Amino acid sequence: MLRHGIVGFVVRRTLLGLLTLFLVSIVVFAATQVLPGDPARAILGRNATPESLKTLREQLNLDRPVVTQYTDWLGGLVTGDLGRSLAANEPVTKLIGKRVENSAVLMLLAALISIPLSIVLGSVAARRRDQPFDHATSIVLLALAALPEFVVAIGLVVLFATTVFELLPAVSLIPPDEHAWSHPKDLVLPVTALVIAVTPPIARIMRASMVDVLESEYVEMARLKGLPERTVLWRHALPNGIAPAIQVIALNLAYLAGGIVVVEFVFAYPGIGGAFVDAVSNRDLPVVQALAILIASLYVFLNVFADVATILVSPRLRTSLK
Amino acid sequence: MSEHEDPLQPDLNHGLTRDELLRRAAVGGVVVLGSGSLAELAEAAIAAQRPKRGGTFRIGVSGGGAKDFIDGQNIVTRPDQARIVTGWETLVTFNSNFKLVFGGLAEEVSTKTGDVWTIRVRSGIEFHNGKTLGADDVIYSLRRLINPKLKLFGGAALASIDPKRMKKLDKRTVRLFLKRKDGTILDALGQYVAGIVPVGYSPNAIGKARPNIGTGPYKVESFTPGQRSVHVRNPNYWRSGQPYFDRVIIIDFPDDSARVNALLSGQIDAMTDVPPAQVRVVNGRAGKKVLESPSAAWTPICMRVDAAPFNDVRVRRAMRLIANRPQMVSQALDGHGRIGNDLYAPFDEDYNRGLRQRHQDLAQARSLLRAAGKSDLRVDLQTTNGAVGMNEGAQVFAQQARGAGVTVNVKILDSQAFYSDQYLKWPFSTDFWGSRNYLSQVAAGSLPSSPFNETHWPANRRFITLYTEALRTVNRKKRREILHEMQKMEYDSGGYIIWGFSTLLDGYSTKVQGLKRGDKGVLPLNAFGHGYRSIWFS
Repeated sequence: MLRHGIVGFVVRRTLLGLLTLFLVSIVVFAATQVLPGDPARAILGRNATPESLKTLREQLNLDRPVVTQYTDWLGGLVTGDLGRSLAANEPVTKLIGKRVENSAVLMLLAALISIPLSIVLGSVAARRRDQPFDHATSIVLLALAALPEFVVAIGLVVLFATTVFELLPAVSLIPPDEHAWSHPKDLVLPVTALVIAVTPPIARIMRASMVDVLESEYVEMARLKGLPERTVLWRHALPNGIAPAIQVIALNLAYLAGGIVVVEFVFAYPGIGGAFVDAVSNRDLPVVQALAILIASLYVFLNVFADVATILVSPRLRTSLK
Repeated sequence: MSEHEDPLQPDLNHGLTRDELLRRAAVGGVVVLGSGSLAELAEAAIAAQRPKRGGTFRIGVSGGGAKDFIDGQNIVTRPDQARIVTGWETLVTFNSNFKLVFGGLAEEVSTKTGDVWTIRVRSGIEFHNGKTLGADDVIYSLRRLINPKLKLFGGAALASIDPKRMKKLDKRTVRLFLKRKDGTILDALGQYVAGIVPVGYSPNAIGKARPNIGTGPYKVESFTPGQRSVHVRNPNYWRSGQPYFDRVIIIDFPDDSARVNALLSGQIDAMTDVPPAQVRVVNGRAGKKVLESPSAAWTPICMRVDAAPFNDVRVRRAMRLIANRPQMVSQALDGHGRIGNDLYAPFDEDYNRGLRQRHQDLAQARSLLRAAGKSDLRVDLQTTNGAVGMNEGAQVFAQQARGAGVTVNVKILDSQAFYSDQYLKWPFSTDFWGSRNYLSQVAAGSLPSSPFNETHWPANRRFITLYTEALRTVNRKKRREILHEMQKMEYDSGGYIIWGFSTLLDGYSTKVQGLKRGDKGVLPLNAFGHGYRSIWFS
């Protein structure tokens, strides 16, 4: 019965997610079609003439009715054909494929480091509430959260690459035909910048939630039963304390997908951030649309995942699902 | 014209030795051959230390993106410039004093009457695929450059070439029959975008070419637009001994800070376009230096002479008197530049030095505006970040304008919005130009037929008449008089406020040898080390 409830819940949430994506695709397409400026002219730039503009517009199907363009595009998305970049004149998948992989590596590493780190920091701070450790982490985390990412990123560069110590590379020059993970040194600073951006909010909510949980009856019960503090913390308190944090984690990971632009720029990292900025200024519609849908899909997926994980992790919520 | 008077001689004197001059006088009327480059090279070799072979040279270049391309005869952005010089060369070249010399593929380029030209290329030069350079390639290259459908950058200046009347005289010699007498052809053939390509060379889409071949010191090994390109040494390069690097890697860096950081942390060996505010930072770092090269690059403020309020010449004169030029150079270019006098082409021999340097005169400006009935003038000034000094110059000017009662609203647009269908239509805007000689610049921006005429000059037909006459005039002295008159017209009533010329600021690691200070340049880093062949690692 329980499983039916959960499976049904997952299916419902997934369908809702797909519906959301469909609506998002309409918004993305409409928004990019009415971006100020004409793609043909943006591509030709200073060398645009009436003849070359006309030729380019025909070549790129910009003169077909809007609805036809949309259905063509949507059909392509579903089958994996993201179209051809207007600026680079090659398939969008070829243009952004490597960059998506590179950005994914950064995001994954940042997530793998920041999530456990912030959970531990938040839990320990809650455990030692109002003691020096708690105050210290609170202040440091608040200060870091207040700094914009590019300040943090540049600060890291000055500290570790160019001025104070010269230990790490200042920019991530990963060759286009190589994988990001084969250049670990180039990843250290960008990942650190992202971890610093994402850890404070998760740690803070973790702390707040854990403070709440640690005062609850079942934790007191566990203590009274004589269980070691460690077991109380990690087996009983944490699974309940983590539930509210999951939503924040999902939100921050999704934010990473967009906020990565700034960090990638500072480090000249070959990811989707740079590709997105370039595509927007070139009015390269297919690339802008593909990247927007990609980030939106990631966002929707993370949210569905967060909803499901929250249910699975929290026993009380599980039982309420009939 | 006498037998011994060669119209082009004075242009090329500066690159030739005395022997050459005497020999030429004896031959009479025909321009003599290209030992100019040998003289220069010898000089340089004695002065410098011995070059060493080897190494991978990494250069960070500003700008770039998905629209990057490699075409031996075309550029749009800085990375395109950095890449074109790796593999392609021109018939004639400019030396470090911005004078035309025979330092390129041509052994001889001569004319007797100004409308019939003979070009002979050196023997034994091969393209990257082993094919020998010959007359057919020259003909194909020139035809492609002037093809109106391709809209290549160097095409406008070669407009007087008749593509149907080019004759192959022998394996290495071509004869051109121009549509009219034109003394500026040599200038046009020396532009770095007039590369010589093999027969059949063709990009397969608008402005984009697959890795492809030329005669230059490096071959394209790989290219990812928006990221980097890798070039390998051409072992059959015709200048024996050169180039010195094994490989050259050109990396796009749209962000200024990332580029500077990469240089400081040693990840690149050189960079273009050091932001003026960072010059001190780079110079202050051990092992790094900034190369300053005076250029004739200018970022004018443009007034349309056919649109209100600037169609009244008094208003134009007033605006020019508002500019406090030394202040603009010191604020907009951080002091890295020279002041201008509302005239372009300062490197041209015939630049009119006799016209008095303009200075700020707010009182006179106000009285001119009052006479024109525009005492409380309000105007919008459209600008974009197309080059160093463009936006900053506009903002400093707007401040200065208040002193004359003029309100200037600076509107900073992004590049795509600026270079849109509104470009060349705004009454008041900025723009940027590279270094050119006078007549080439007139062709590009000061005639009704010019591709980029922001001011819609000329205000009367006399200027056009003078231009046509100048092209035809072979007597050097007479030509100078014509050019001086044309410049006086622009000085008196033109639409440009040319307040200064920027200095090219590039950064490099001191282990890079061969770069020279003070080179009058069009391209950064001594034209990228003359295609990365006159520089080496110590």
